[in-house]
Amino acid sequence: MSFEDKKAIDGTVDSAPGTNAKPAAGLSRRSFIKAAGVVGGAAFGSGAITGFPLIWAQNIKDIKLRQFGTGVSNLNDIAQKAKEDLGITLELTALDSDAVAQRVVTQPRSFDIADIEYWICKKTFPAGTMQAMDTSRLKNFDKISPLFINGKLTAESTIAQGTAPHTVGFVEGKDSTTFASEPTQWMTLVPTIYNADTLGIRPDLVGRPITHWRDIMDPAFKGKTSILNIPAIGIMDAAMICESMGAIKYTDKGNMSRTEIDQTIEILKKAKAEGQFRAFWKSFDESVNLMSSGEVVIQSMWSPAVAAVRAKGIACKYQPLEEGYRAWGGGIGLAKHLSGLELDAAYEYIDWYLSGWVGAYLNRQGYYSAAPETSKQFMSADEWGYWIEGQPAQGDILSPDGKVMEKAGAVRDGGSYWDRMGAVACWNSVMDENKYMVRKWNEFIAS
Amino acid sequence: MRSFSFNPSYLQVTPLALVILLFLLFPVITIIIVSFWDYDAFQLLPDFIFDNYQFLLTSDVTLKAYLKTFFYALSTWAITLTLGFTIAYYLAFYIRSSLLQSILFILCTVPFLTSNIIRMISWIPLLGRNGLVNSALLELNLIDAPIEWLLYSDFAVVLAFVHLYTLFMVVPIFNSMMRIDRNLIEASIDAGASTLQTIFQVVVPLCKSGIAIGSIFVVTLVMGDFITVSLMSGGLSASVGVLIRNEISLLQYPAAAAGAVVLLITVLIMLSILFRFINIKKEL
Amino acid sequence: MAASGNTQRKAGFIPLTIVFVLFLLFLYGPTATIALLSFQGPSGGLTFPMNGVSLHWFRQLFETQQVGDFGGSLTRSLLLGFAVMFSTALFSLLAGLAYRRKFRGGGVLFYLALVSLILPSILISLGIGIMFDRLGLSPAWYSSALGAHLTWTLPFGLLIMFAVFNRFNKSYEAAAIDMGATAWQSFRLVVLPLILPSLIGVALFGFTLSYDEFARTLMTAGTFNTLPLEIYGMTTNVTSPVLYALGTLTTLFSFTLIGTALLAIWIVRRRRARNAPAAEA
Repeated sequence: MSFEDKKAIDGTVDSAPGTNAKPAAGLSRRSFIKAAGVVGGAAFGSGAITGFPLIWAQNIKDIKLRQFGTGVSNLNDIAQKAKEDLGITLELTALDSDAVAQRVVTQPRSFDIADIEYWICKKTFPAGTMQAMDTSRLKNFDKISPLFINGKLTAESTIAQGTAPHTVGFVEGKDSTTFASEPTQWMTLVPTIYNADTLGIRPDLVGRPITHWRDIMDPAFKGKTSILNIPAIGIMDAAMICESMGAIKYTDKGNMSRTEIDQTIEILKKAKAEGQFRAFWKSFDESVNLMSSGEVVIQSMWSPAVAAVRAKGIACKYQPLEEGYRAWGGGIGLAKHLSGLELDAAYEYIDWYLSGWVGAYLNRQGYYSAAPETSKQFMSADEWGYWIEGQPAQGDILSPDGKVMEKAGAVRDGGSYWDRMGAVACWNSVMDENKYMVRKWNEFIAS
Repeated sequence: MRSFSFNPSYLQVTPLALVILLFLLFPVITIIIVSFWDYDAFQLLPDFIFDNYQFLLTSDVTLKAYLKTFFYALSTWAITLTLGFTIAYYLAFYIRSSLLQSILFILCTVPFLTSNIIRMISWIPLLGRNGLVNSALLELNLIDAPIEWLLYSDFAVVLAFVHLYTLFMVVPIFNSMMRIDRNLIEASIDAGASTLQTIFQVVVPLCKSGIAIGSIFVVTLVMGDFITVSLMSGGLSASVGVLIRNEISLLQYPAAAAGAVVLLITVLIMLSILFRFINIKKEL
Repeated sequence: MAASGNTQRKAGFIPLTIVFVLFLLFLYGPTATIALLSFQGPSGGLTFPMNGVSLHWFRQLFETQQVGDFGGSLTRSLLLGFAVMFSTALFSLLAGLAYRRKFRGGGVLFYLALVSLILPSILISLGIGIMFDRLGLSPAWYSSALGAHLTWTLPFGLLIMFAVFNRFNKSYEAAAIDMGATAWQSFRLVVLPLILPSLIGVALFGFTLSYDEFARTLMTAGTFNTLPLEIYGMTTNVTSPVLYALGTLTTLFSFTLIGTALLAIWIVRRRRARNAPAAEA
């Protein structure tokens, strides 16, 4: 954190206008500064404290909400900040993405707030264990990126293939489980984070420029590649690869026919038999270990995993490719059983989630916030420039826990938000032939 | 017959019976029922169909997975038996102090208190391309290039199994050995038998029950495993457990249940064959 | 000390000791790697190379992680482990006593217990998970997960109890009854002390098996994770050598605990040895 940033914190807090709940604000400030020491660069911008009238605090401060999701966004710092700002206690449980879907459907009373991805939502929301959210209760609803409302990043962009978030973002009515084709007042998930994924490479070990998805199949990298083994996502990466190889032309990669699935799996099986893959990874951490230990030099990867490898001083690049990105998005939704004060608290929390602090926190990890403009006020101009606008960093870029991630002068792989999210070729999805696809995927793994 | 007087055994056995009833019988019955149900992307549809079994029993994925699983079970069994027998033999016949025996046993169990997941992760820095083993071999000039099959291979899977389950072989064999009358061994040696002859013609037959119990443990543990196989093979190979786990994680419970029922039957058949050779209740 | 009493077996002793030591090395390979890597420098990762040497990750262990909650899940795992430990010891002791007499259904129950032991854990997990779901019950670590663990530890305990009572010399008990002891007295003063070491073994076995159980807990834990599940969940984000620090501390802690226990046993034995002649006289 730079000196200016520190001043900025003090500035905001001291000049906090309208802190009518003085004792609370005083307390928050002290704990806030303590927290700032812990979370380092993440903590500046305490606007949430001042921006929020604390009238709910009396009612909801004793409320506990149980949230689960993957480790990607189920972060303790967010829970801590929510406690400070809202008084709500969030009990977080981190699970792998399979277990997340399982819990939503089979243990509806084991959670209050579910943090899931949109493609999982397509599978789980119709099970009726969640409730739609009334958008009129969300003050920050109109700050949400249009990407999640009508699927268009800008007015002229085309909608990518796959389960685009806006297609499963709304239902027809309060108690409906039918996805609406137009935005309605009832939202299934309030978007939290999303990103555009591509291949990660070890520039020091690949020895040539990587430009296409098909490069992962280059015999030169035999035994040094990996793709991920979550069928719904893995098949999309595979489709990007096959299409890039010119082997298959898909009508819709996000909704393949049986023949297309068969052809894709055949290509994968052949590559596996020839020893192209070193391993398949399932959790974030495995991908980091594979890359940093040098087991693989090119693999499908998530942006913060690239950052994690780089943080160890190992060269790693999130390589933009000509065919574009595979994107994913996550959001938080409410359990069916929530009511009364707990429901109010949950709405309050979700609105707070969109109010900017969390967005800035996630932006700094290399994800994107669903309400970009609110998060901007919680980031320094340099950070905003580096992470969102694709500008060269002016000073060192710090991670949320205060480590130097990038030195001055660095430019984000893939450039700006609009360059990256504008080049999405398809979204993670659930296909109509899901059952068949999973069987074929198992066949591939067992081959 | 003293059928009218109250037998306190019924009271004493109630907790065990309740656990077995509630957490074994009911769940197994549930699984059998659900294996005939239908499902879609997000829910179970009560029904009575044979689709799950039909797919399972006709797919060559199942066959491949079973072959792979049998391969893992057999190789793990052979290695853990040899190793476990040797260790047990050493502990039973060469270590005289019972305190030292206990200490050595405890020494063998301590690594198991560190979470298996953490230990699995640590195989990568040990066996990986740039891991300890490869660097040591390179350093000693024993190899020119890192050995690739140390990690993410069948070798790695079996190695991890041996690591996890040898102790399950050692304990019952050791237990049987401790009950062997030492005079028998003296007699065998006095009669002019070599050490090896004594082992194979006196010790092994007398440890039959221990060997059988250990084998049951090892084989069934390997048959039902999914996490070792998926982590150590780097997701490259699939055992029966991995297939079931995949189906569970994709919410295809009926398919998983059918897979589980077939696995259950397989394991039971294997055991009934084993029990033909040994009366476990008597031999303990 | 082991071989000194027996010169004729010395020939086999050395190679077998080497095998045993190699086996120990093999067992401790991952533990040693974990121990080594837990001293990674602050920017180090889960794999080699080492990025400096520090105690950073041990300090981190006691602070809030980016994801996950060691404290809560460790507490749950320990509580669950103790619950499993006590129920396993008590239930298998009772069942062991029950099987000393013949009773109807005994054979069936015994074979069911065996089936329970050998049933793949994923099957139990799936079955209990679906059963709770269908019955509209909420699974929790203290209910469904406890049951799931017991299906695995109880048969274990039962087998050990069988082995114990098969070898148990009934004449001690008979002698006690002859001398006018009640059934309870003969159990408490004669039987229990004799089988206590095995009972402690059953209890420890129960704890160890439960503490590290993953598959059986997977679908039965309910809202909150036990430690193995939490660690697995944590691998969905950047995990750090904190995991290794946890492993190293666990190992050290177990050694200390066991060391203390052994010391206590040794002291008790010495005292007994000193007191025994006096008592007889």
